Amino acid sequence: MFFHWLEKNPFYFALMISVVISFAGLLEIVPNFAQAARPLSTEKPKTVLELAGKNLYVKDNCIACHSQMIRPFKSETDRYGKYSLSGEYAYDRPFLWGSKRTGPDLHRVGNYRTTDWHENHMRDPKAMVPGSIMPAYKHMFTNVADIESAYAEAVTVKNAFFTPYGPEFKRTRAAWEAHRPKVIADAKKIADDMKDEDVKKAVANGEVPEIVAMIAYLNSLK
Amino acid sequence: MQSNAALEYDYTVAKLFTYVTILFGFLGMLVGTILALQLAFPELNYLIGEYGTFSRLRPIHTNTVIFGFTVSGVFATWYYFAQRVLKVSMAESRFLMIMGKVHFWVYFIGALIATITLVFGISAGKEYAQYEWWVDIVIVIIWIMWGVNIFGMIGIRREKALYVSIWYYLACFLGIAMLYLFNNMSIPTYFATEGLGSIHHSVSMYSGTNDALVQWWYGHNAVAFGFTVPIVGMIYYFLPKESGQAIYSYKLSLLSFWGLMFVYLWAGSHHLLWSTVPDWMQTMGSAFSIVLILPSWGSAINMLLTMKGEWNQLAENPLIKFMVIASTFYMLSTIEGPIQAIKSVNAIAHFTDWIPGHVHDGVLGWVVFMIMASLFHMTPRMFKREIYSKKLMGIQFWMQTTAVVLYFTSMWIAGITQGMMWRAVDEYGNLVYSFIDTVTVLHPYYVIRGVSGVLYTAGFILFAFNIYKTITAGRKLTEEPQFRTPMA
Amino acid sequence: MDIQNIQGYGMFFLTIFLTVILYWYILYLYRSEKKGERDFEKYGRIALDDNIDSPLVEDKIASERDNTKEQNK
Repeated sequence: MFFHWLEKNPFYFALMISVVISFAGLLEIVPNFAQAARPLSTEKPKTVLELAGKNLYVKDNCIACHSQMIRPFKSETDRYGKYSLSGEYAYDRPFLWGSKRTGPDLHRVGNYRTTDWHENHMRDPKAMVPGSIMPAYKHMFTNVADIESAYAEAVTVKNAFFTPYGPEFKRTRAAWEAHRPKVIADAKKIADDMKDEDVKKAVANGEVPEIVAMIAYLNSLK
Repeated sequence: MQSNAALEYDYTVAKLFTYVTILFGFLGMLVGTILALQLAFPELNYLIGEYGTFSRLRPIHTNTVIFGFTVSGVFATWYYFAQRVLKVSMAESRFLMIMGKVHFWVYFIGALIATITLVFGISAGKEYAQYEWWVDIVIVIIWIMWGVNIFGMIGIRREKALYVSIWYYLACFLGIAMLYLFNNMSIPTYFATEGLGSIHHSVSMYSGTNDALVQWWYGHNAVAFGFTVPIVGMIYYFLPKESGQAIYSYKLSLLSFWGLMFVYLWAGSHHLLWSTVPDWMQTMGSAFSIVLILPSWGSAINMLLTMKGEWNQLAENPLIKFMVIASTFYMLSTIEGPIQAIKSVNAIAHFTDWIPGHVHDGVLGWVVFMIMASLFHMTPRMFKREIYSKKLMGIQFWMQTTAVVLYFTSMWIAGITQGMMWRAVDEYGNLVYSFIDTVTVLHPYYVIRGVSGVLYTAGFILFAFNIYKTITAGRKLTEEPQFRTPMA
Repeated sequence: MDIQNIQGYGMFFLTIFLTVILYWYILYLYRSEKKGERDFEKYGRIALDDNIDSPLVEDKIASERDNTKEQNK
């Protein structure tokens, strides 16, 4: 009998287990793969500064408490804005939907919060939202964001997955040096709306404090 | 190979993994308790600067418990019971012995380094898969080394029939390997460019909705093949051995095995209900989650029926108590999960504290209890000493059981309260509560959970102490106990 | 036929196919035991008699010896 034979041959037995457990993945993930990767026509990839902010969102693990997924219920669209669409996430690597809302959803936080608000909130959440249990992220005001890695990421996704970044995104260090002033200019726009003098000074010196990249990212969530 | 009267099972590697199981268990629970207290008392976020915030610590808690505690518990039990049911000693193969030791040291040092990367926020961002690309490579190597031992031991076995626990461990090995590899596919940006940026940084090969699907196919089934499959394998060996009763129905155990293998992986998309993945996938995840009750309860009932006519052992032997309550919590969490996977229930439960509540009655009540019981069973046999204190074991049992009950009851209430408040509208259809109202209301439940964490960790310290005293000061045994573990 | 239809039919036949396999397996388990071809419950003893000199339920070395004998015939 088949089963008897199978149980006596560890190799084929292991193979059988692999076949049985791979069914689900094949049938659930593969058929929809190409379709689910399609962006909305209005969707633009993130700028290097915003990507650096996204990487900080990952580094400080904001998804432990914040989702980016507005479900199609009236109570959610009233609170957070239009429900989320698949095509809006097409450039998100990794996806940052989160699985827990200890704090509110952030998928459209750029629509109703400002640079100024974020600056105060990240320094002292309780001052903006009495009763908040979110920790302050003061270290973001002094740490420097890794914009070079963000540029490398943009180039990588452009080459590997055809994410529509412009022709100036190249693998070379020279290309990065040429692009860098653009990132600093973006950072300056954010810093101009901020109050912190040290942050302004750092940006003027050609450095991007983490908080600037973070706010650029949060503002881009719309 | 001739059978040799002087031949004995060799527990060198099992002992090493036992020590680190206890070490990582303590660390994971300690960090978990700090996290629980941080939610109740946010001032605790600033203990160690930027490295001590809730968000930075959470991956350390989850990964230490999964890849530190549970996985080393699986390794420890494997290196113990595999020899026994395959009837071959590690000492018979020099190659497997050396590989076993190398496996341990690479695992231990790798786990420490991996934890340090998380402290510094070197993270790929996906839950339970935060490790960056080069840590993933180390993990794959560790996993393959375990595979070498599995197939090596099976290759030189004397007992031709593979006991059902071996099936489960084999499935754990294969399942995790497949899931981990596919989910962690990423491109290191440093090498994709001319050395730009950080060498640690990588970018996922999947994006958006696809990434979510792959991630939860992984996330759910890492739970399946890490927290369920090997633990079921564990109880199928340790419960019969401790009680002296053969499995109630061996046929049922085989049937539930194939059922679990096939059904479990479909259920991953229940983490994505009401999201932007296609409707049919959500429905499929929902439906299969409910079907999943059958193989899960098949195993659980089989375990309970194994004790048929022997229930007096429950009162006499605290180890049986641990295992029986573990399978009871297994039944509880495998009925709770499918309930949460029903779409209308999920609309309320998702994103709330009911979800961590569910995870923890499974992990604290089932996984940790079962691993502790296994180590209690193994220690006297590995060190040839009697368990140091039966009384301590009883105290520990009640402390930890109380802790689990406090944990999940408080989180049930917290989760449902919050879920209902989010959607509450007044007579004009306006939202009643601002978000912060739904946070401050949870404070008492967060305090209860903090207390539960302290209680559970204290119980675990008692466990560690009991094991330590057993190894150093337990009464010496002249011969190996056949079934019931002797204790003073 | 679009992909959705194919998936629908695929799912339907897969379900039937798997149900058949499931019941076939259950039938196999109980039938072969009833007919006395195999005794599954004896494997439960492996966990209980697990000393290195305990009696084997199925002896691998002996069965391999038998196999080679048969091949040499």
